[in-house]
Amino acid sequence: ERSQPRHVPLPEPGCCCCCCCCGVPGQGVSRAAVSEPPRRCAGRENRMKEIMSNNNTTNISQARKAVEQLKMEAYMDRIKVSKAAADLLAYCDAHIGEDPLIIPVPASENPFREKKFFCTIL
Amino acid sequence: RREHPWEPGPQTPPPCLSLPASCRAKMATEGLHENETLASLKGEAESLKGRLEEERAKLHDVELHQVAERVEALGQFVMKTRRTLKGHGNKVLCMDWCKDKRRIVSSSQDGKVIVWDSFTTNKEHAVTMPCTWVMACAYAPSGCAIACGGLDNKCSVYPLTFDKNENMAAKKKSVAMHTNYLSACSFTNSDMQILTASGDGTCALWDVESGQLLQSFHGHGADVLCLDLAPSETGNTFVSGGCDKKAMVWDMRSGQCIQSFETHESDINSVRYYPSGDAFASGSDDATCRLYDLRADREVAIYSKESIIFGASSVDFSLSGRLLFGGYNDYTINVWDVLKGSRVSILFGHENRVSTLRVSPDGTAFCSGSWDHTLRIWA
Repeated sequence: ERSQPRHVPLPEPGCCCCCCCCGVPGQGVSRAAVSEPPRRCAGRENRMKEIMSNNNTTNISQARKAVEQLKMEAYMDRIKVSKAAADLLAYCDAHIGEDPLIIPVPASENPFREKKFFCTIL
Repeated sequence: RREHPWEPGPQTPPPCLSLPASCRAKMATEGLHENETLASLKGEAESLKGRLEEERAKLHDVELHQVAERVEALGQFVMKTRRTLKGHGNKVLCMDWCKDKRRIVSSSQDGKVIVWDSFTTNKEHAVTMPCTWVMACAYAPSGCAIACGGLDNKCSVYPLTFDKNENMAAKKKSVAMHTNYLSACSFTNSDMQILTASGDGTCALWDVESGQLLQSFHGHGADVLCLDLAPSETGNTFVSGGCDKKAMVWDMRSGQCIQSFETHESDINSVRYYPSGDAFASGSDDATCRLYDLRADREVAIYSKESIIFGASSVDFSLSGRLLFGGYNDYTINVWDVLKGSRVSILFGHENRVSTLRVSPDGTAFCSGSWDHTLRIWA
């Protein structure tokens, strides 16, 4: 059964949704702060960090940490995608028989599919 | 450690012989080593990033969907709404299953947190938080407590009691304190520890009993929106996603970031481990979901269609990992074949954004929560 959303206008795609604090409108219509979850724009965050880090020592130590982190990430041991993909396939294959959303179990065994009516004693 | 062929060759003469004392003193106070400036460190970082991409690319010998060509295609899917949970007065923001595969906790914008019996759709517990936008909630592994938080910047634990005379709010315990909103929380393997993610850009691990901060995780450049713990067999790691478009994998004991992935084009709203623990999926405001393999250290699949232009808010795998369910801001749920990369089904029913989605612990159903104030159980 397919029911289309009723008369509720779809949101503009790509709308920046935070903006109750930074006041920067999104690409689409600017929205009342209350209707969107709070979220800071990454752009604003980076600008804030630039303004705040005038301290030379902090910059240097942050930059050093970034270099150390990247060295560690660049030189980790990796496997080929072909091997990784084969392992993902193997896992699926081994477990697909027990996946109730793919191989449905009899309706009597799936509590959501069966037509039993649950009664509670009041 | 392996040899780094790009490192500089023979050592330069020790700095102390080549500079006047006044210079050396100044550099010492500024924490600078000879030849090391902010610019040179940034340059080194850029070249390392290039190196990282090169190393990843060397092992990119095939695409996942190519390897999956030999796999049997999935049949037709008949998935329908089997239960609708009504009772929230405003947008449902988060939900979690109890390990008993039956109970569900959900939280909403109006501050209400409700525990449901999904078989009967009855509400078993309800508590009103002192804040609005309760964006995170989680069920304790024992089934005896729930955790939740949001705009109060905290994560609080409520023991669940069946004593009708007892006021649930009275036993509330504040565990986590962040400096911005709480976006996600999860108990670890026991009721004793909670992992949190926050708009303050950090994740943190807390001891529930004492409220003590056990470990903090710094590295995201903006709000962290989601997290997921690795399946227990694979060890002490978790993955987080944020507004900086990065997904980061962390070592829970050391607090260190082990791997990071930056291929999304917008905020990452949801991350979820593949059941084997070797990969994880993400859902983003860029309207795609992606699969990252941890041992190949790269993105191995993108789940997208030209017709899908709204963000994915929440993702989860079916029990075998073959299906990926994504809840989207265009009110639909798309079901993806994880291996082949194609969409196998699209589910309609919600009348507003789908904000949260979790498969039940035994995989018999999944639950979606929406801004239309309801939760739906699909099977």
